[in-house]
Amino acid sequence: LSQTPGKLKTPSLIFTSIYRRDFYKILGVSKSASVRDIKKAYRKLALQLHPDRNQDDPTAADKFADLGSAYEVLSDEEKRKQYDAYGEDGLKEGHHGSHNDIFSSFFGDFGFMFGGNRQGQQDRNIPRGNDIVLDLEVTLEEVYSGNFVEVVRNKPVAKEAPGKRKCNCRQEMRTTQLGPGRFQMSQEVVCDECPNIKLVNEERTLEVEIEQGVRDEMEYPFIGEGEPHIDGEPGDLRFRIKVMKHPVFERRGDDLYTNVTISLVEALVGFEMDITHLDGHKVHIVRDKITKPGARVWKKGEGLPNFDNNNIRGSLIVSFDVEFPETQLNDNQKEGVRAILKQASVQKVYNGLQGY
Amino acid sequence: MELIYTLRVLIKSILFVILWSKCEGRESEFNYVTCGSLVKLLNTRHNVRLHSHDVKYGSGSGQQSVTGVESADDANSYWRIRGKPDGTCQRGVPIQCGQAVRITHMTTGRNLHTHHFSSPLSNNQEVSAFGENGEGDDLDVWRVQCDGSIWEREEAVRFKHVGTDAFLSVTGEQYGNPIQGQKEVHGMGIANQNNYWKAMEGVFILPSQEPLRHNHEEL
Repeated sequence: LSQTPGKLKTPSLIFTSIYRRDFYKILGVSKSASVRDIKKAYRKLALQLHPDRNQDDPTAADKFADLGSAYEVLSDEEKRKQYDAYGEDGLKEGHHGSHNDIFSSFFGDFGFMFGGNRQGQQDRNIPRGNDIVLDLEVTLEEVYSGNFVEVVRNKPVAKEAPGKRKCNCRQEMRTTQLGPGRFQMSQEVVCDECPNIKLVNEERTLEVEIEQGVRDEMEYPFIGEGEPHIDGEPGDLRFRIKVMKHPVFERRGDDLYTNVTISLVEALVGFEMDITHLDGHKVHIVRDKITKPGARVWKKGEGLPNFDNNNIRGSLIVSFDVEFPETQLNDNQKEGVRAILKQASVQKVYNGLQGY
Repeated sequence: MELIYTLRVLIKSILFVILWSKCEGRESEFNYVTCGSLVKLLNTRHNVRLHSHDVKYGSGSGQQSVTGVESADDANSYWRIRGKPDGTCQRGVPIQCGQAVRITHMTTGRNLHTHHFSSPLSNNQEVSAFGENGEGDDLDVWRVQCDGSIWEREEAVRFKHVGTDAFLSVTGEQYGNPIQGQKEVHGMGIANQNNYWKAMEGVFILPSQEPLRHNHEEL
């Protein structure tokens, strides 16, 4: 450390790695990232960095904690302002809200399992509460650009209550001795004693991501957010995506189809036009040749992003149909049309319905 | 008088929209029932939740029965609040008082429905669950009646059927086997304490930001 004459060096350099974390870098987003970009980044990284998934990495827990802190600060408008202005030191309060809270608002309450399998599969005898399936309607705009839906989940949670209750009730055969050598078999209902449970309603916010390119019927599960079971685990809450029909675009896989009606003049002499896409940007179309009815223009890269790889896009296929003029032509105009077009009479008769 | 009332509702709605657009952090203080939300509806007088299941009425229309149950943790008590088939109900937008909705049973996909059949225990109007995959007919539509301008979760509301003008009600009659202990839910013409319902457990969808943005970097 060189001494700069006339200035004091602060000892805070020693603590750089602990208190001067770059939250934007941790999340992998730019300084101007929107809240939605931040949520999206957190969700993707949380799945990758969870300690359960990185059991042989000793720094996994720290990295995961850093990720939680980064999200906690950058997703909150006030905290983000303070952090941008003064750095991590400038944050007024310490971090509260465990990282578990943040994590479970994206994935659910009850532990964490990979590949959709529930942990404790070895013990299939644990009873489970009902699953809840919610149809979530999404627009094609949301499929194109992605979105987050916040929901408030109000659910009954099993809490301990004073006293005992009967549980695991079952039928058992009892043998009673009536006398020497004489026995009687009877059936009896036998219950265990368990701690008493009451149901209390609790509320929390969940974040559902509508990922780009998501397909109809895809599900986003939130483990443990379903209905409780008095003697076991709660079920899951699953959001089932339902993509709604769009007035302009039709989806087929990653491709989008749309139709444009042009006038007869435009069909013959050419035209230039813009189609407004799902996120507002314009797709420019120029035609200088004759456009036949049913003609198609193929715009590569203007379809939907592919769900598995957002960088791959489908195509936009534009089909044209022609609107003929309404007013009838007088004899002079008819002569003019014949003269200009110089097209011989065709009048071909054929079976159009059987593909001849 | 009607004009003034309409004006007041209009002003309240405009105020709500202005105030709402300023709100950023919403957390769990969100107090409204919105379009697309899943709820359990509690009859406040008889303390039972609106419920349905794959059990058909033995009389009347023979359609799927709708009852009131005491338990709070049954997934068959979840109903989804949806708009009419004309598609005017946008996901996450709070339901207005007076708005016409369909109430779809989550597990069976049938809509809350009533018609001119007699209910089995009290001879009131039978309330059933009707349709397939959320699609039924015109008798699936109910109007939410409440005091303010928006259906608040804390508030008990009434459901008035569009078509027969009956109120969704419970008066306490109980079924025997196979649905022992469940109470009869029926339609009644009179508005009273028996037709108040409150949104309890559920999944309440908040309004989303518009996803529109100009994303050219990736192209």
